[in-house]
Amino acid sequence: MNSRVAGSLNKRARHLAFAPYAIFLLVFLVWPGLYVFRSAFDQGSAPKNPMIEAVTGQYRSSFIFSLRLSFVSAILGLVIGATVAVALMRLSHVRGLRNVVVGYSAVAANMGGIPLAFAFLAAFGMQGLATRLLKGINIDLIGWGFRISDFWGIVLVYLYFQIPLMTLVIVPALDGLRRTWSEAAQSLGASTRQYWRFVALPILTPALLGGFLLLVANAFAAYATAFALSAGSSKLVTVQIRFFLQGETITGKTNLGYALAAWMVIITAFLVLGFQVLSRRAERWRR
Amino acid sequence: MRRGRAGAWLVLVVVFVYYLVPMIAMTRFAFQRIPVIKLSFGNLFDKWTIAPLIETFKEPEFRSSASLSVQLAIATAALTLILLVPTMAVAHLRSKRMRRMIELSSTLPFVVPAIALVVGFAGAFRETLPMFIRSPFGLVPLYVITALPFTHRALENGLAALDLRTLVDASQSLGATWYRTVVFVIVPNIRASIATAAFLALTVVLGEFTIASLLLKNTLPLYLSYSQGQNPQGSFAVGLVLILISTIFVASSNRLGKVVRS
Repeated sequence: MNSRVAGSLNKRARHLAFAPYAIFLLVFLVWPGLYVFRSAFDQGSAPKNPMIEAVTGQYRSSFIFSLRLSFVSAILGLVIGATVAVALMRLSHVRGLRNVVVGYSAVAANMGGIPLAFAFLAAFGMQGLATRLLKGINIDLIGWGFRISDFWGIVLVYLYFQIPLMTLVIVPALDGLRRTWSEAAQSLGASTRQYWRFVALPILTPALLGGFLLLVANAFAAYATAFALSAGSSKLVTVQIRFFLQGETITGKTNLGYALAAWMVIITAFLVLGFQVLSRRAERWRR
Repeated sequence: MRRGRAGAWLVLVVVFVYYLVPMIAMTRFAFQRIPVIKLSFGNLFDKWTIAPLIETFKEPEFRSSASLSVQLAIATAALTLILLVPTMAVAHLRSKRMRRMIELSSTLPFVVPAIALVVGFAGAFRETLPMFIRSPFGLVPLYVITALPFTHRALENGLAALDLRTLVDASQSLGATWYRTVVFVIVPNIRASIATAAFLALTVVLGEFTIASLLLKNTLPLYLSYSQGQNPQGSFAVGLVLILISTIFVASSNRLGKVVRS
């Protein structure tokens, strides 16, 4: 009897220890999140439900632009990032190379924001150094219509953090490929190509796919870099949301900003969930 | 095999050039007083100066935004540690389920992009607790949330590498209170991952633009964005310094992370 009382008290004390963290998350993450959804579904005096209006007309094309940008930069990041990881594996005999590349990948994957936009403006802007050098060898980027603030320009900038993020995801997965597997494949008469196609790739697929979703989510949520590149006039959903918080000029449409944000949360939630399911699968082969 | 290696080198070199070019261009733009159009092989090494950086450091607007950013960074790192270290230590000791729950909740900020978080925060707090929106330090809790996935990971690695049970039993059998156990036993044992978490929090805050920009708080990245027009060289120079600082922070947190794991 006594021990039971002590036990339940102990349990209560245990839960109390989690209270500050839980309350903090509730107030500063869950509450704002719920507020977004509550306002997003609140039609008010508007003719249309904001959640519906947020995916029609110009806003739909904003979402398509953002998603296309995220997918394209994620696919290129996937291919190049994985190629870098495979190149590292091939060069495993070079001492220290792997540490340097993986270390720098961690740095570059966290890069972004205003300074990164500046670096690319200095290199590939109208008056950029790389623009000028390329023109010297008859590659006239500006003449071909390339602008650093346009679709392909932003893709070029996003790759700066997408490639290393992919490398960071794939390097441990490649480590998980066991030597015995390639030896087994070889002893059964498989060529290198066949080994990659029928053994390595199927094992790596969850990691690759998971990494891809992570990259899409990463690019989709980005705001600062595109904002700085385009001087605030980007078509990206993230930049569009800004107008509603600051202006709130369009009468009766104040909840549209919340609806755009709500759709963003829904999309990212699916991407992150997919990433987590897939990376759990990818980990099965490790150890 | 030989050919494979040559190809691998080629890949790394091409990617390396892609990483190098923007940094070189930015450095040149910030510190050389020659417009790109007039640049030639003849004057490649002329007119280099660090004056743009020095002049910007003297600007009062720069100083106030830099000092705000530093204060926010320190406050964020401190609040992160105060909030996470005791909670995660208890979770590691007592309840696997709680540990899972905390881990799961630490990935939530990935699901709510910064832009959605700040919009919801502004709406929710404007009516009820407007001081959080008025004061620049209202940014701190949002920054703690933004940095949470990274800081949690760092602390989790440190705690997982420890035989916490034995340490706490030993400490308490010698009569230490829970508070003394945390401060004098747990914290010193995970100091490397505490430093890692702090570095990551600092990095996140010093580079964060979205939240500060929507709440109109003059942090360093906002200063960069505003001064780009009137003082392009100076703002690019400061941007370069920011990149350098965050590189050092992330690199040292990586190194410390390796210490923890070994």
